[in-house]
Amino acid sequence: MEMAKEKFAMKKRLGVTLCILVLFLIFTSSAFASSSYVLPYPSSMPGSFMYNPRLLLEKALKFWYFGNFGQFTYNLKQSDKYLVEAKTLFEYNQYLLAYKALQKSDSYFLKTLPNLKDAQKEGKNISQNRKLLSSAAQKHIEILQNINLPDEFVWQPEKSASSVLQLKSAIETSISIRKKYQ
Amino acid sequence: MKKLLFFSYVVFLFLFTFFSYLFIDPNLSYLKNLRSEFVFSHRLEISIGYVFLIIIHFVFYLIFLKMFKEKRLGKKDIKAVVVITCGVLLFSYPAMLSFDIFNYLLTAKVAFFYHENPYIIMPIQFLGDPMLAFTHGANKIALYGPSWITITSAPYLLGLGNFILTLLNFKLAILAFYLGTTWLIHKMSKDYVSVILFSLNPLVVIETLLGGHNDIVMMFFALLSFFLLSKKKAVAASIFILISFLIKYSTFFLLPVFAYALVKPNKKSISWEKIYKVCAILMFIAFILSPFKEEMYPWYAIWFLPFAALSYKNKIILYISLAFSFSLLLRYVPFMLLGTYFGPTPLIKILATGVPVAVVSMYILIKEKLWLKKFFR
Repeated sequence: MEMAKEKFAMKKRLGVTLCILVLFLIFTSSAFASSSYVLPYPSSMPGSFMYNPRLLLEKALKFWYFGNFGQFTYNLKQSDKYLVEAKTLFEYNQYLLAYKALQKSDSYFLKTLPNLKDAQKEGKNISQNRKLLSSAAQKHIEILQNINLPDEFVWQPEKSASSVLQLKSAIETSISIRKKYQ
Repeated sequence: MKKLLFFSYVVFLFLFTFFSYLFIDPNLSYLKNLRSEFVFSHRLEISIGYVFLIIIHFVFYLIFLKMFKEKRLGKKDIKAVVVITCGVLLFSYPAMLSFDIFNYLLTAKVAFFYHENPYIIMPIQFLGDPMLAFTHGANKIALYGPSWITITSAPYLLGLGNFILTLLNFKLAILAFYLGTTWLIHKMSKDYVSVILFSLNPLVVIETLLGGHNDIVMMFFALLSFFLLSKKKAVAASIFILISFLIKYSTFFLLPVFAYALVKPNKKSISWEKIYKVCAILMFIAFILSPFKEEMYPWYAIWFLPFAALSYKNKIILYISLAFSFSLLLRYVPFMLLGTYFGPTPLIKILATGVPVAVVSMYILIKEKLWLKKFFR
């Protein structure tokens, strides 16, 4: 009888220790991984009447953000915006639109470092912006890693041929792009 | 007498110029040979010296005005005084009372040296730029409109990358607009009293020729547009008022008057004196409302002073503008004395501005017996 009680107490202690250990691992790991970089609010989404004017405005703003630092800021902002758009659309299972938004985010992200390299060639100190880019890459990776998706998805539009979206691979590509910039 | 007056005025201007160099920023490496810590270690003496210089400046101002009215000074003499003032104060240290001129320079550098949009990229993003050590507000994007940034391209590029030369070019550009405004006031009023009232006003002289504030540029274009409107050149007038709006936005307050004068079919029937009076009042309202945006900076008085000078026959406008010209220059004293923007400084600044204006207002009320007129109407 006493042996059984002792066994139960030991199991209880082990259970509590394990719980503490798991909680410790969860919280400490998330505290170290999270980036302080702040992403924007979701902007107007595809299908909204404001979406096309937004695209037009984005095209015009490209010229307003002249200069290497300006272009860097523009490309990073755009990449952030489309990443948030992709995440929101994935959550609503709008896979095709989300997939396209993610590709746009990737293409803008890829332009950021060349902008900084050009700025460096002009003698500008890029250390602050390089840190910003690294922090943004980390935040993007955190967001991308938390998106749960099927490996692939067959998108069947109403009046055209279906297409297979390699969702998992798209996410992995996006993460690998950003890892290079960390 | 005239020679003595001129001589003492020149001595005074040199003294003021020398005084300005006591305020060189400790981080301004370009002028390190002229730098001293006197301002920081002798705050009381500096404050007394500043108040003394301001009073002397006003005494000269009133003497010039009185002697011209008594015909003891001619138009040529006034022109000479303006030229001498420009010639001496061009070489004064501009950041004695505010650091805005460094901000103009750095914003121009962002646009024309780094080739970045100053409305997007802040100067502070150019780490290692030597100007960041002494420029205040480097963590802000461009504060002024595109007209101003375009205008600054000339003094900046002609500086050929040399800080001192660029600084001198900016002062020269401001001086040119000051002379342009003086010329316009003469053309618009045909009265040298207006010219003296504006161009020799100590606040205008200090904030423009010493401090190099761009408010004079905004007002030059505003006056030019009204001048052209009076000459029935509506298109050119509209372009120049737009340029003025796009320097510092404050002249937007003039839009109703400008629109009225623009659409009025018979320009000959317009009373330009009344127009200028309304302009003075509107720009005064803009000035009074400035604390809602930031603070009532002394150089904001330049918004209404040109129109006030054109409407000086209205005694209320004259006295109030003179009172503000004096009291606003006293706003610098609390910081000079205490070395802080906190504690009693804000209250003393309000009192320094308010008391002289209140005293003059009371004087107007009593002298003009406005209260009596109202009572026995």
